[in-house]
Order: sequence, then structure tokens, then C-alpha cells
Amino acid sequence: MEATHLLVRAGEYVCALPLGAVRQVLRSLTLHPLPGSAPELKGLAEFAGDPLPVLDLARLARAPQGANPVFPVTVVAWAGPPEARELVGLAADAALDVVVLPAAALVAAAPGSGGDGGLVAGEAIVGGQVVRVIDLQALGQVS
Amino acid sequence: MAVDVTTAGEAGARRRGDDALIGWLLLAGLVAVGAALLAVAATRGAAAWPAWAFTVAGLAAIAAHGAWVFWPFQRLERRLPVEEERFQRLDASLGATCLHLGSGDLVRAAAASAGLPSRVAAAFTASTAALSGLAQQIQDSSVEVASAADAVNRIASELAAGSSQQAASVVEITAAMEELARTAAQIAGSASRQAELASLAEDSGDAGAAAVDEAVAGVEEVKKRISAIANRADALGSRSKEIYRVLDLITEIAQETHILSLNAAIEAVAAGPDGRRFSVVAEEVRHLAQRSQESVESVRTLLDEFAGSTRATIVATEEGSKEAVRVFERSRAAAAAIAELRHTSGDTARVARQISLATQQQNAASDEVVMTLREVSLVVQRMTGGLKDLSATADRLNALALEIQLLAQSFHLDSARSLKHVVESWAARATAAAPAARQELLEELVRGTQFADLLYLVDERGTMSALAVNPATIGARPSLDLAQLRDVDMRRRPWFRNAERERRTGITPPYQSILTGEQCFTVCACVGLPDGGFGGVLAVDVNVTGWTRI
Repeated sequence: MEATHLLVRAGEYVCALPLGAVRQVLRSLTLHPLPGSAPELKGLAEFAGDPLPVLDLARLARAPQGANPVFPVTVVAWAGPPEARELVGLAADAALDVVVLPAAALVAAAPGSGGDGGLVAGEAIVGGQVVRVIDLQALGQVS
Repeated sequence: MAVDVTTAGEAGARRRGDDALIGWLLLAGLVAVGAALLAVAATRGAAAWPAWAFTVAGLAAIAAHGAWVFWPFQRLERRLPVEEERFQRLDASLGATCLHLGSGDLVRAAAASAGLPSRVAAAFTASTAALSGLAQQIQDSSVEVASAADAVNRIASELAAGSSQQAASVVEITAAMEELARTAAQIAGSASRQAELASLAEDSGDAGAAAVDEAVAGVEEVKKRISAIANRADALGSRSKEIYRVLDLITEIAQETHILSLNAAIEAVAAGPDGRRFSVVAEEVRHLAQRSQESVESVRTLLDEFAGSTRATIVATEEGSKEAVRVFERSRAAAAAIAELRHTSGDTARVARQISLATQQQNAASDEVVMTLREVSLVVQRMTGGLKDLSATADRLNALALEIQLLAQSFHLDSARSLKHVVESWAARATAAAPAARQELLEELVRGTQFADLLYLVDERGTMSALAVNPATIGARPSLDLAQLRDVDMRRRPWFRNAERERRTGITPPYQSILTGEQCFTVCACVGLPDGGFGGVLAVDVNVTGWTRI
């Protein structure tokens, strides 16, 4: 079985987001930071007239800090289990491509590589580059 | 001598007595013969009275002869030996006096003339006194002539030396002036050439000024063009910035397109199977956006290179502009320098012409000075020759004065200026002194003189027995030692032989002293023995210069 993913850059990592969970890709939204919030929460943005919490994908994926992004984007996606999913914004450095990842290409993440609380579902090699597949349902649990 | 005179007188008296007797007999015989002849004539008829008259006259003549001739003659005959002896004494005195006079010994001549008759003696005394005075005057005059000749000689020598130096100086000055004239001619030539070169430099300065003006204009044009290039490069930079803004816009559009294609892909996935076609379109759009972005990046890269070249061009044009400004300023400075150089070259040409003219005048003046100096040199050379002749004449005059002095000194005068008199008085003191005291006496005598170089005593065997050197005249010269001269046989010396033979004080001709190297002569006087015999010679070497100075 294969699944289509949206590849985004988060720090030095390339992350794959399941395309079915992605609602829209936007240029980086204007953020309103929330005092005292968790470091992963960059702030609140306005999306379609509603407040949208925007999370730092690089922090969520424990990715090392990369170069300053040229065209940062905010990926609006459904997070959490299907019965309790909600829209969140994921701040990424760039939106790269849409790829189809076969299930066979997906391998479990190396132990201790993420430290992300099970957010990274696995890894795949795309174009010779390691891509970390993000489990957005797990993201709802984590958050 | 007296015996000889007496014998001659007696023989003369006998001869004169026989002659008187013969005279008597001849007179009587003549009377007798005359009377006999008259008697014979009377017998032959002649008168008798002439015979008687002749006989009486003859007897009267015989009586007159006896009274007036024979008897006075007899008285004179008796006085004749006495007179003859007196005549001999007078003759001896006169001979001795004349002999002393002939030898120049006026003192002994005067003493010898005492035996002459008083009038003759007075005449001799007056003559010797006059001769002595004359000799002294000759001595004094010769000394003065010698001194004057020496002074003239010295002055002439100094003048000749000065004239020689002056002639040498004139020759040197002439050579220097000739060199100066040659140098002036060279300077004149150099000044003329310099004037020509300065004129050429002035012309070259004009050409250079024109060329520099053209260069300044060219540099100014280059500066303007560089400024235009800089402006265009600035404009190009501004356009490049606009292109960058357009590229940014295109990039942004491409990014937006990319995001849009992603969202289209998301919508296509959300649409399920119905959105498959749409996903293809979204993918194509995504690829298009991606190519657009790649093209933009390529253009940006090219534009970066272009912008870099433009910036380099701007920098180069700025540098070129600055360099053009500097070249322009330098060109203007060069133009000013060339203008100054032209001015200076003009001044230099004018001054060089003036120098050339002045140097030519100097050259002409130097030639005149050289000609004048040559004439002066000839005059000085003639004057030097004349002074040398004058010096030689003074030398001859000095020698002549010395000869006169020696001739005057050949007279023995009763004067302290008579060397014979002085040396004879010293010889008398040496005769009176004991042999052991003679060396000390000679040293005492020589210390008291300024003309005697050397006093020495030679005994009758020709051996030098005492020697005294005058330190005042010898000075620092090496002296003589008596021991070196004791073995020399002085009897070979002419002056010793003359003194021994003549027993008279003598003077040698002048000769060069081996002790001083100067001219001297020797005065030698006889020293007597206690028995009155010849006891040797006292010789005095007289320095000519010292004696004439006295």
C-alpha cells in the first residue's frame, strides 16, 4: 500500500506529512505568541476567521536548527485521532514536494533518534535523502 | 865690510899718488922739451926771447899747478878714505832702508833711515810716513770697498733671487692667464652652445607646452568619458536592482505557484478518484513552478555575475576617474612646470648669451694681459741677468778689494790694522814666553780676535808645537787636533821656507780653508831663539770675511 505525503523542511530534517491530513499549505501566517505556552507552540494565527494554534515542526521532530528559511510556510493539517481531530498549523521552513511513499519503503525510526514521543512514524529514503514521516494522529496525543 | 872699504881706499890713494907723479913728470917734460926746441931755434938765428918767455911761462905754470892743483889734490887725497868710509856707511844705510822699503817694512825702513844724513833721513821719514798713511788709507779703502762690494753682492744676489722668483711667478701667472684665456674661450664656446641649447629648450618647451595642453585636453575628455561610463554603470546597477526586484517578484510568484500546486495536489487527494486528473495538473503546475524557480535562480546567478561585473566596472570606472583626475592634475602641473621651464629656458638663453659676450670680452682682456705679462717676463729676465752680472761684478770687485787689501797688508806699518805688525808683536810675545806657556798664550791671543781662525806655532824643525782654534769663528764645525798635525813637516810649506830664508814676516795669497771652507790667508812671523837665531814661525790663518768686517 502506498500513501501520498507532503515533504517539508524543518530545520535540517525533511519531514513527510500524510497528504490526507493536510488541509492547506499557506505562506507563513502572522503569529501571535502566547505567553507561558510550551516551546513547541509558536503562537496563534488566524485561519479562515478562526484562531489556529501553530506548532514548530522542527521542535516537534527534534530537528537541528537549520539555515534561515527563504519561504517559510505554515501547513494547516488535521492532528489527532480521527474522532477528535482538530486543525493545527505546523510551521516549516519550506514546502518541498508531494511524493508517494510505498509502505515497503517506510522503516521504523532508529531508537533514540527522535526522542519525540512517537511523533516520527518512520523513515524513508527519497532521492537519496532521509525523510522522517510524521504521525499527525500521534501529534494530537502529544499535544 | 869695513876692511874691504879701507883696502880699496889705500889702493885708490896709491893709484892717485902715481897718477900725480906722472902728471908732474909729463908737465916738466913738456916744459923742458919746449924750452929745448926754442933754444935750438935761437941758435939757428931766431930770437932768444921766445925761449926765455916759454921757459918762464912753463915754470910759472908748474908753480901754479903745484899751488892750485897738486897741493889741494893732496889734501883731498888725504880726506878721501874718511869720506869714502862715510859714503859706505851712507850707502849701507840707504841700501838697508831701500831694502826694507822694497819689502814693504816701513817700520824697519824708518829705523834704517836714521843712519842717513838728517835731511835725507827726514825726507825718508816723511816718505815712509806718507807711504804708511797711504797704505793705511788703501787698507781702509779696500776694506770699505770689500764691504761695499759684499753688500752690493748680497743685495744683488737677493735681488737676483727675488727677480728669479718674480720671473718664475710671472711665468706661472702667464701660464695661469693663458690657461684662464683658454678656459675663457672654452667658457665662451660653452656659453654659446648653452645659449643655442637654451633656445632649443625654449622651442622644445613651446612644443612640450602645446603637447601637454593637448594631453590635458585629452585627459579631460577621458575623464568625461570615464564619468559617463560611471554614470551608465550606475544606471546599469540601478537597472540590475530593478531586475532583482522583478526576480524576487517572479520567485515569489513561483513560490506562490508552488504552494498553490501543493494545495491543488492536496485538494486532488481530498477529491479522491475524481481528483486524479486534477492532481496531474497540480503536479504539472508544481513542476512548472519548480522550473520557473530554477530559471529564476539561473537568471539570478547570471544577474549576480552581471551585477558583480557591473560593480567591478563601477569600481574600475571610479578608480579610472580618480586616476584620470590625478593624471589631469599631473598634466596641469606638468603644463605649469613646462611653462616655468620655458620661462627659465628663456632666461637661461638670455643669461648664456650675456655670459658668452662677457667671456669673449674676458678672453680678449686675458690675451692682452698675457702679452703684457710676457713683456714683463722679458723685462724681469733681463733684470735678473743684469743683477747676476752685477753680482758677478761685485764678486770681482770684492776679490779685487781683497787683492788690494793683501797688497796693502804687504806693508809692515806701525798700526794695529797692520797684520804684519800685529803678528810680529804676537811672535815677540811668543819668543819671550816659555815653551810650556806658548799653548796657553796662543789660546789667549786667538780668543781676543774676530778674524783669526787658527793660530799655530811651528818650531825651527818644522814641527807644530802649539795650536789654538778660535771657537768664535769656527763655531760648531769639527775642530782640529794638534796630535793629528804634529807629524806634518811644515818645512815643505813655501811660507815657512820664505820666513826661514828672509827672516821676514810674510802673507800668503788667499786660499780656501780646509777648516771652514771659506776664503782665508796666512800671516807668518818669525819666532826667535834665546840666542837670536831662527826659532820657528808663528802662523795665523786669517778669515777674509772676518778681517774685512773689522
